[in-house]
Amino acid sequence: MDNSHVALVSMMLKAESFSPFRCDRNIALGINLTSLMKVLRCAQNEDILTLKAQDAPDVVNLVFESSESDRISEYDIKLMDIDQEHLGIPETEYAATITMPSAEFQRICRDLMALSESVAIEATKDGVKFSCSGDIGNGAVTLRSHQNVDKPELNVDIALSEPVALTFSLKYLVNFCKASGLSSTVKLCLSNEVPLLVEYTLASNSYLRFYLAPKIGDEE
Amino acid sequence: MGIKQLAQVIKDHAPDAIKVGEIKNHFGRKVAIDASMSIYSFLVAVRGNDGQQLMNEEGETTSHLMGMFYRTLRIVDNGIKPLYVFDGAPPKLKSGELAKRFARKAEATEAAEEAKETGTAEEVEKFSRRTVRVTREHNDECKRLLTLMGVPFIVAPTEAEAQCAVLARAGKVYAAASEDMDTLCFDSPILLRHLTFSEQKKEPIQEFFLDRVLAGLAMDRHQFVDLCILLGCDYVDPIPKIGPSTAVNLIREHGSLEKVVEFIQNDPKHRYTLPDDWPYKDARELFFDPEVRPADHPECDFKWNAPDVEGLVKFLVTEKGFSEDRVRNAAQRLNKNLKTAQQARLEGFFKPVQKTDDEVASLKRKNEEKRAESKKKQRVEAKAKKDAKAKPRGTA
Repeated sequence: MDNSHVALVSMMLKAESFSPFRCDRNIALGINLTSLMKVLRCAQNEDILTLKAQDAPDVVNLVFESSESDRISEYDIKLMDIDQEHLGIPETEYAATITMPSAEFQRICRDLMALSESVAIEATKDGVKFSCSGDIGNGAVTLRSHQNVDKPELNVDIALSEPVALTFSLKYLVNFCKASGLSSTVKLCLSNEVPLLVEYTLASNSYLRFYLAPKIGDEE
Repeated sequence: MGIKQLAQVIKDHAPDAIKVGEIKNHFGRKVAIDASMSIYSFLVAVRGNDGQQLMNEEGETTSHLMGMFYRTLRIVDNGIKPLYVFDGAPPKLKSGELAKRFARKAEATEAAEEAKETGTAEEVEKFSRRTVRVTREHNDECKRLLTLMGVPFIVAPTEAEAQCAVLARAGKVYAAASEDMDTLCFDSPILLRHLTFSEQKKEPIQEFFLDRVLAGLAMDRHQFVDLCILLGCDYVDPIPKIGPSTAVNLIREHGSLEKVVEFIQNDPKHRYTLPDDWPYKDARELFFDPEVRPADHPECDFKWNAPDVEGLVKFLVTEKGFSEDRVRNAAQRLNKNLKTAQQARLEGFFKPVQKTDDEVASLKRKNEEKRAESKKKQRVEAKAKKDAKAKPRGTA
């Protein structure tokens, strides 16, 4: 969760994504993301990565083995206590689920960001409309369900049980879009008065999920 | 003001009860602010280059308005909805403390006069800061300013902190904001400190969680209030020779103030002496049952309105000599923050997961380890200091 408790990220890497995978009992490792980034930068693209932690660990161990040469590099990252409270995410039946090419979503967010800080997402049976208005004017992008037989990854698919209209901060969405490189499609799940779920599906049932609290008009 | 050393005690015994963060982490929340305390701090702290209070051409003080206006603006800019609570009549028990404060003020006034004649500029400034008093006019002007800004306020029947606490407890606001630690004694679940500080000070906002304070001290609320009375509050005098650590130990050992008093009276060694007049039961009564408006009272229904721009200009620019550009600019910001859709927080939708017993236990262990470590460090430092002091003498 970010400092101001607006967005939350959750990434699931299933056991199938690893080979081999061994875990004797559940264990939580608190890792500083900045530190992890530093160490991951030491890896090369084709390296084989092994993650290891002992029982009651102080450190997590990362080993990079080069597939081409006999180079082995090994790093330990000190663990930290994460004292942030943990939010439980309830299973939700979303009113609207939109699947679209991740590059398309990224483009929409970036384009609208030029005009305004926030975007209104409206899903109806006709399609989904991303609109915004700012000081210089307003803009909108509308997508309709669309099948591309040759390239199924370009499909736009809208599943809707009831119309939804919500407003979100573009700053956060643009940041979420940085994950576009991981997956060719993105899934947006919306229900009125509920945080937006942006999901990038990864190989072997794994996923990267972002949750974003909506902007709401004043209740008074 | 407040409870002596309570912040330190909490830091020592319940470090996880204090969270430090930036002001913007609190956006989207409503906060009840102890207005009287804030006005006082503005009068003390908002000064011109010469160390004098800010004044308009007629020589009327404007420090409080300056502070109220710009600090409130900063709070609103960060997406927080402030709500001010003014002090009503002080409870009778406080008269002792008030009389003392009054005497101190009188003394300081005299000293200030003297310093003006004989002392340096620095001394003059020091004493003039001590003579500050919040008058009825200051309060009324601030109320007028808040009305024009569209920010709601309420006058508490007695203590403002108590009223803030009630509003926070009832969930009308997220937290009570005060510099006064006794807000916690009034059962405010969360207390924010330093919210009305100047941006230039770069003081982070401190957040105190009452439930974690109680868990860390291993006390219930009754014992906590007893501890605060023993530490020294506004209502009764502190007992000589009882400092923070003794106070914590006494309450831990004896469980309640009654028992502590009994122990002090029957102590064969007569280590401590109670002041002659020590109405601790009344003080406790005030903490547990202060005179406040219940949160469901119609007066506690708050609305944040659009600012009255022309009214603000008339009041601040025409009457008080503020810069018109800045006031109009500020009013525009107030308007904007009120109108734009408010970013919601995830807590509104997802509830925190209860910590498991294991986690609670490990947290407790870690706190204790930390405490032991800091104590050890202190001891080592103290020893090093002593050694350093002893050495030159030995070598000389």
